[in-house]
Amino acid sequence: MMQWTRWFAGGAAALGLALAPAPAAAQLKVVTSTTDLHDIATAVGGSRIRATHIAEGFQDPHFVEAKPSYVLQLRDADVFAFVGLDLEVGWMSLLLEGSRNAKLTPGSPGYVDVSRVIPVLDVAVGRVDRSQGDVHPLGNPHYWLDPENAKRIAALFQQTFSALDPAGAATYARNAASFSSELDAASAAWDAHLSQIRGKPVVAWHTSWRYFAQYTGMNIVGFVEPKPGVPPSAQHLAGLVQTMRRTGAQVIIMEPFYDRRVAERIAGLTGATVLVLPPSVGGIKGIDSYIAMMQHNLTMLARALS
Amino acid sequence: MRPLYALVVFGLLAGTASAQQRDTTRRMPRDSAAIADSIARADSIALVRELERIAGERRPVSPAPGGGVQSAASRLLPDISLLGDLIADGSPDGSTQEDQTRFGIRELELGIQAAIDPYLRADAFLGLSDLEGIAIEEAFLSTLALPHGLQLRGGRFHLPVGKQNTTHRPELHTIEYPYVIQRFLGPEGGKGTGLWVSKLFAPFGFYQELQLVAIDRFGGDAHGHGEEEEEHDEELEIVPDEPPNHSLSGLGYVARFRNYWDLSQATNVELSASAATGKTTQGVFCVPTGGGDEGPCDDRPTGVNVRSGVVGADLTLRWRPLQQGLYRSFIFQVEWMRQLNDDTPSLFDAPAGFELEYEGPTRNYDGVYAFARYQLSRRTYIGGRYDWLEDPELDGARLTAASGYLTMFPSEFSKIVAGYERVMPSGGLEATNRLILQATFALGPHRPHPF
Repeated sequence: MMQWTRWFAGGAAALGLALAPAPAAAQLKVVTSTTDLHDIATAVGGSRIRATHIAEGFQDPHFVEAKPSYVLQLRDADVFAFVGLDLEVGWMSLLLEGSRNAKLTPGSPGYVDVSRVIPVLDVAVGRVDRSQGDVHPLGNPHYWLDPENAKRIAALFQQTFSALDPAGAATYARNAASFSSELDAASAAWDAHLSQIRGKPVVAWHTSWRYFAQYTGMNIVGFVEPKPGVPPSAQHLAGLVQTMRRTGAQVIIMEPFYDRRVAERIAGLTGATVLVLPPSVGGIKGIDSYIAMMQHNLTMLARALS
Repeated sequence: MRPLYALVVFGLLAGTASAQQRDTTRRMPRDSAAIADSIARADSIALVRELERIAGERRPVSPAPGGGVQSAASRLLPDISLLGDLIADGSPDGSTQEDQTRFGIRELELGIQAAIDPYLRADAFLGLSDLEGIAIEEAFLSTLALPHGLQLRGGRFHLPVGKQNTTHRPELHTIEYPYVIQRFLGPEGGKGTGLWVSKLFAPFGFYQELQLVAIDRFGGDAHGHGEEEEEHDEELEIVPDEPPNHSLSGLGYVARFRNYWDLSQATNVELSASAATGKTTQGVFCVPTGGGDEGPCDDRPTGVNVRSGVVGADLTLRWRPLQQGLYRSFIFQVEWMRQLNDDTPSLFDAPAGFELEYEGPTRNYDGVYAFARYQLSRRTYIGGRYDWLEDPELDGARLTAASGYLTMFPSEFSKIVAGYERVMPSGGLEATNRLILQATFALGPHRPHPF
């Protein structure tokens, strides 16, 4: 039994060794919850930041496992930028507290809730409970799918990075302006697509396309999910089929992480086209920037609707 | 595919009969007094339409920051949640529950959690049950941002001994803790009250964490009572000459060393080791040399404090492909533990004409379990567990058990588990079959369990 003393002495020694401080790094270390924020942060930060992200673009950002490897990502970060509005509620707090990083506590400059600069849609009013499905009481969090919001995000990153790294303020301002210009130029080219999309009825799987619909003018006439986050019942699908027939909706938009077979069955009954669109950067292979993602989605949707 | 297709067709036919009610684009009544309830009943599209209409009427003058509709007071409230754990026991040879009920509320767990200030957060979980009344399951303060990757915790908590012991019982993948945890640490897992410090590091590029804990006492329940002491309460009170925590060496000490690797984006493994030690009170009684009933020894304590401990290792392998993660996942877990007991405890001298009878264990016991669970669909999982241990309650006789579980999650906030278990003790004892249905639910913002 006396060997216990040695066990704990050994443990304490290991703890002491591990207390050695890590060497300082020159760049701002930025971690984002999603690939979209990562891409915009990279565009604004350029070589002055080292950015990583947690969720992948082809993954449902609501359901990310709070893996210890993400804790390591966060423990040395200067900035953690997240979508907010409870999108990351199931995993973010565990990672942030697990990281023990004082720079990322709420109220710190490195704790960046991006939703605070966004005009939020679908803010719940009245009584809210789980009988309504996975509602987001603070509003719909899928706001990055509107390019105007992408510009707001870029401006927020410019402000945040400049506050934390004043020496790079000019660079951040230049990069943010450049990102906005690129996005404006791309948006101008997307007008032709928008004219083909505007007013057309579509069905979406989840409420994640609300901001995209606001931007494009597409008319979402129904959702595959009966309530947010709730898989469809046969009864709901039957109603949805009727809605599609009545409204003439011929396109079903879905994310790559949902079960395509369900959408295919609806399409089989209605003659509609199933369109798997990446909701985020990296959602499908080759879509490696925010502008490329929007370009892809608009092109595919316009083609399907025309 | 065919059954689902048939369901769709059936639903289509049913839908035709009441097409207007199924039309998901129909807007809900515009009477503002009915808005709340209508939204609660509405489907996704109706909800969106109502919120669009309301937003149009409200016309915010500036971008609404997240959560702008909440009052300041409500935003300062702590997270309050309630976990319910309901059990139906359909075992053929009578109820196998502690309270012998066929239908029972095993526990309600009330959680209150929030940051206290920029430096500390508090988490408190009260367990409510017919058997125990109200008990403090866990209640601790945690530091939020100490330097050097350190975190301190003070209060009562599940001890970091093994992997599953840190999970609250209603949140287990199985209905009950593995036998090795039930027997070596307690039926509701091992808990302790004290101080906990942990340190993160990654000198080799992967996640490592060292957790060190000092608690008021090790063994028995978290409220400071030893199991042996409770068992004998009605017959002979076991009282040592001094409490186990009289000297610092009598406190409970726990260490856990975690190692975690991502094998790929989808697969990861954790390999960890734990050790715990402390003094527990065991009964010592006098038996007349010529034979007779045991009883307290004159002028001597009825209990002695004896060192005991648990060492163990655990391995957890997880697979969850990121893109199909809503529908497919797999977990395999194996834990081994050894309960260490003093084979020659130092006892006081027996009075003349008596022999001492030491009630505590004098040998070590081993135990292990293996558990696997596969996700069949978005809401359905199938799993099984095999337990093997030298059961301290059977003087070390071997106990094996095999169990299977079918789990359905109607949503993230509720779970229904159907479990079958065959418990096979050795030593001529009869095997028993257990058939148990469990339903758990979570109300409110219950904090997710650590990975």
